[in-house]
Amino acid sequence: MRTSPFCVRSTERKMAALRAGSLARALHKAKGQGFAQMFFGARAASGESKDSLPGAFPKTPEEIAAAAKKYNMTVHDYKPHPDDGLGFGDYPKLPARSQAERDPWYSWDHPDLRRNWGEPMHWDFDMFIRNRVDTSPTPVDWQTMSRTLLGFVGFMLFMFYLGEVFPSYQPVAPKQYPFNNLYLENGGNPEKEPEEVKNYKI
Amino acid sequence: MADYKDAPLASRPKTLDPAEYFNLSPEYRRAEEERAAVRANLKRQYQMQLNNPHRKELIEDPALNRWVYARSNIYPHFRATSKTSLMGVLFGVVPLIFWFGVFKTDRDNREEKIKAGTYDRTYKISY
Repeated sequence: MRTSPFCVRSTERKMAALRAGSLARALHKAKGQGFAQMFFGARAASGESKDSLPGAFPKTPEEIAAAAKKYNMTVHDYKPHPDDGLGFGDYPKLPARSQAERDPWYSWDHPDLRRNWGEPMHWDFDMFIRNRVDTSPTPVDWQTMSRTLLGFVGFMLFMFYLGEVFPSYQPVAPKQYPFNNLYLENGGNPEKEPEEVKNYKI
Repeated sequence: MADYKDAPLASRPKTLDPAEYFNLSPEYRRAEEERAAVRANLKRQYQMQLNNPHRKELIEDPALNRWVYARSNIYPHFRATSKTSLMGVLFGVVPLIFWFGVFKTDRDNREEKIKAGTYDRTYKISY
């Protein structure tokens, strides 16, 4: 039985040696690429293989077919982003439609996202979820909407402008105070005779 | 359908797409069948994993992994073209110079006014 204390310690030592070896291999692999690559360059063997991840822009028809198959799309539908150096690689350029436009009654695998498992995601998928940007058709066309809004706002602005030019309010006058405009309360000299203030005209 | 006008920035629903009703060419049908086959295969894969009684882990979605990987690994496919260089200058260099100019002239004007004594502090809470 390999569970006696002596055997357990030897297997632990072997595991420690294995781990040290893999660390040494990672360091060796990264020596030409810098500190950051030491951690991100040495990938684990579990998870995706390199050819199922996005790659460079496809140029030959074989590359295009392979990329379409990788992204679970038909060759007819697969169109990469134009190769102008912005960094898209071979990621497909899907139509910019939000998830709100998709059929609400179809049995999606993920009903809140209206998406099926394995379906290629738009580059701006996080923008097109149902809580955010919605590109669905409007009940009234754009021209009518914009004309209504601009017409209303313009009319209100014009009316406020007229109200500034021709003001209309109850007649007011400055407040009149008794006792010669409160001469003593405002700190006037009690010895001196204040000048007479007449706030009325008969 | 004759007088339906699409709104810009919004799509026409698939049920109002004329291709669904008038374009019944074999190529269109074949393309639709291919798409349906891909979709059915993906559905089958997902259902097999979902209803597997021995599954203990989460079902990982390779499309999601590809999306995340593509969004985070833009630099390896970046190239310095005229367009990207122009964008770099417009968004990275010009705002610095512009806002430096704006703030500098504004502050110089204010300093002159303060020195001359004409700075109007009527509604200023601080300074």
